Amino acid sequence: MIILISLPAEINPSNFVPWGINLKDILAKVVDTATQKFGAEYAEIRAQKLFKTMLTLKEERVEAAKEGIENGAALRVLVDGAWGFASVGTFNLETLTSALSDACKMAKAANSKLKTPIKLAKGKAFEDKVLAKPRKNPSQISIEDKIATTSAMAKTILSYDRRVKSCTIDYLDLVGTNHFMNNEGTYIEQDKLYVWSRITATAKEAEILTFSREEIGSTAGYEVFDIETPEIVGAKVAERAIDQLKAKTPKGGKFKAVLGPNVVGVFVHEAFGHLAEADLTLSGSVLMDKFGKKIASDIVTLYDDGTVEGAFGSFKYDDEGVPAQKTLLVKDGVVVGLMHNRETASKFNAQPTGNARAEDFRVEPIIRMRNTFMEPKDYSFEELVEDIKFGYYFKSFRGGQANLDGTFQVGIQEAYEIVKGEVGEPVRNASISGNTLETLRKVDAVGKDFELSPGRCGKGQTAFVCDGGPHIRVKEVIVGGSA
Amino acid sequence: MVVLKEEETLSLAEAAVNFAVKKGADEAEVFIYQGLTTAVAIERGQIAKSSRIIDQGLGVRAIVNSAAGFAYTNVLGDKGAIEETALKALKSAKASKPDNEWKGLPPKKPFQHVKNTFDKSVLKLSADDLVKIASTMLEAAEKTDKRVFPIEGGVGASYLSRAVANSNGVLGFDSGTVIECSLATIAREKGEVTPVCFEFNVERSYKVDPEWVGKEAARLAVSALKAKRIETKNMKVVLAHFALQQLLYYTLMNAVKADYVQRNQSAFQGKIGEKVASETVTIYDDGLLDGGLHTWKFDGEGVPQQKTLIIDKGVLRGFIYDNYTARKEGKESTGNASRAGYLSTPNVEPTNFHFIPGKKSPEELIGEIDEGLLVYSLQGAHSSNPASGEFSVVASPSWKIENGEIAHAARGVMLAGNVFQVIKNVSALANNERKIGPLVAPWILVENVKVIGK
Repeated sequence: MIILISLPAEINPSNFVPWGINLKDILAKVVDTATQKFGAEYAEIRAQKLFKTMLTLKEERVEAAKEGIENGAALRVLVDGAWGFASVGTFNLETLTSALSDACKMAKAANSKLKTPIKLAKGKAFEDKVLAKPRKNPSQISIEDKIATTSAMAKTILSYDRRVKSCTIDYLDLVGTNHFMNNEGTYIEQDKLYVWSRITATAKEAEILTFSREEIGSTAGYEVFDIETPEIVGAKVAERAIDQLKAKTPKGGKFKAVLGPNVVGVFVHEAFGHLAEADLTLSGSVLMDKFGKKIASDIVTLYDDGTVEGAFGSFKYDDEGVPAQKTLLVKDGVVVGLMHNRETASKFNAQPTGNARAEDFRVEPIIRMRNTFMEPKDYSFEELVEDIKFGYYFKSFRGGQANLDGTFQVGIQEAYEIVKGEVGEPVRNASISGNTLETLRKVDAVGKDFELSPGRCGKGQTAFVCDGGPHIRVKEVIVGGSA
Repeated sequence: MVVLKEEETLSLAEAAVNFAVKKGADEAEVFIYQGLTTAVAIERGQIAKSSRIIDQGLGVRAIVNSAAGFAYTNVLGDKGAIEETALKALKSAKASKPDNEWKGLPPKKPFQHVKNTFDKSVLKLSADDLVKIASTMLEAAEKTDKRVFPIEGGVGASYLSRAVANSNGVLGFDSGTVIECSLATIAREKGEVTPVCFEFNVERSYKVDPEWVGKEAARLAVSALKAKRIETKNMKVVLAHFALQQLLYYTLMNAVKADYVQRNQSAFQGKIGEKVASETVTIYDDGLLDGGLHTWKFDGEGVPQQKTLIIDKGVLRGFIYDNYTARKEGKESTGNASRAGYLSTPNVEPTNFHFIPGKKSPEELIGEIDEGLLVYSLQGAHSSNPASGEFSVVASPSWKIENGEIAHAARGVMLAGNVFQVIKNVSALANNERKIGPLVAPWILVENVKVIGK
């Protein structure tokens, strides 16, 4: 699957849309005005034209098939060390110039109280055109076909077992183009392409209500449904909801645990990843004084990688025009890297890592993860489980959240007991928590398998990401039992 | 500023409805949203960022043969773009299957009066004014204690407007203002970092107290230092505003939505008239609450908002409905159709989910507790089981209560239980009601909560 191909603009003139040509001139004028008339030391503009298709199915009823167009531009300027930002829903030069004037006024208001002026790490200039190359472009698939795919999922779920009571399926595809220009000579036209679906089901027996969720996400194209077919995904969601009906509630306390790739992913993302976002590190996360120090057991190596082909968190350039890269965060237990934008890179005297992302033109880029994972080692699943007399196997998560002090919580939607070295009965509504650094030191075996799961991460704005890793074993986690 | 006036907005909405009907829609509805926000942001102890965001757009819902289609655009200046949007909505409707339960868009009804939802003085605030408010807040935090580090926060002032028109003659416009200031802090001492502590004010009128927000955010962080582990046992828990909102948002607030009830996803299904909570609990969904954050004349499909009794002294009395779910049961909508701006079709959501407060001050509430936990915020509430209400979350920050007083901060504490049991175990409510998201509530005291510590 090839998704993001980059071609110099002049080789591929057929891909120019007329508004694209005009738009480049308009953007150049705005950026020039920012530096020459308003005295901005840095100026960037992101103009986006986005098309979305959304469906919500409740059981087999299509609530409404939805289509939308969003056009807009985000302007960001640095004036005397303070940021000004403006967003408008148009590409009209007059409106953009007035928004620019707003942004510069806003920056001047902000810098009246400035203590430490903001500086940016040096950026390289890029001129590039990045085209999405889906095998199946969602914009070429009819709305009838999209309804058919999601309806097939609903059918599979509802016919799986009479105890399945409801299902909700959300579908979104987003295609569009992002035009980025700054005053340092960068101009990038980059296609955006996302296909996403969330599938949930509830089951009920006597007074027990269970809930199950899966997400599909890809930057490759609509072909993701050729692998994650409606039948496979539907059955997975329904099966979990049914299995939980007979599950017991977990004991509360400290236990040995094996975490599946899906749970390792959310742990790496929530518990560690957020602390290694340089803006949060600077805000006083527990990693602040840990750079170059050992924080995890030797077998733990963690990456945040924006270059995994087709993965939900991949792109070629971030929203500051910096190329995405594979960033090593922890090597053999030692913190060796953080995720940066140009502002934090300057503070740390480091290179920007291509982690500056903005959900759309309404918001400014902030440091976000991409595809975050633990590197696999050499244990088989059987080897991970065999020495555990009693513990838990946490296979799939429901949600997770971290705090700057290093406390994490991960809610689990699918778990099993481990008894005498074997996976036993299902357990429902467990959650695990602990201190991130203590838990990373307690990782005592890392599996050889590997899996990435797509997800969405909220940090004021939503970002599409992936996370994952192999199965791992942890000497001790706090398991929150039910009452 | 690009603000559409009331008359322009209404005529745009009406024209789009008429166009959709002319092109073959059996019924059509148009919703127009505008939002203008000016904000300054605090990052790592300083004000270094400021923004102005203008977002406006229009969404068309078209019904053809009992199937709904929806399309939206944010290109409002161009008649062609709006007509194209209406045509897309029609096309989507035609691609969908007929829905036997569809009983039409809402009829025209008189709108209600609302109080204190619009304040001109919020609109007049300049970027410089907002910077002043933010620095008052920041200085108040910094003056309180040297160990406090304000990590992020800000001040924002917004103008919002909504207009709706449909082919049954519904036509309405409403506008309002919101101002908020917030500060998140941590405190650091000898290698210890506290969890993030957060304080805020959000109001429809210009009635925020940035100095109080700053001081309080700092005081919380300092008091979260020297946290100790506590024993695992069942005890009394006081849920402060933010924690209560987090816990209820993904569980109780869903359970009262007609949509969830009708689709077998609510623990309250078939329980109208039954006792579902302690007698101390009375809840209204009040779409007309004076100065409420979700108070509007009409909801997302032009139905007048209202005050709906949900739980009366522990007895379940009602659910919240939009037009579709109400008609399905032969009822009237309770005005709870919510919209994500112009980007979405209506969804059933609470407006101002109002817990009627009690008489005790927070100090009195704490004063009567021999052993308990005061919880300000939860981590992981979104991972609760939305259907059954079972939760297992980290309480952070939280404080141990001993002999009627706050003894010390607690760390690494989890709470586990079931939300529907929690509301049965509420033994008292304080008198310190606040607005937070869709919730309007005081601190509540819950008996016998499983607290997992050491």
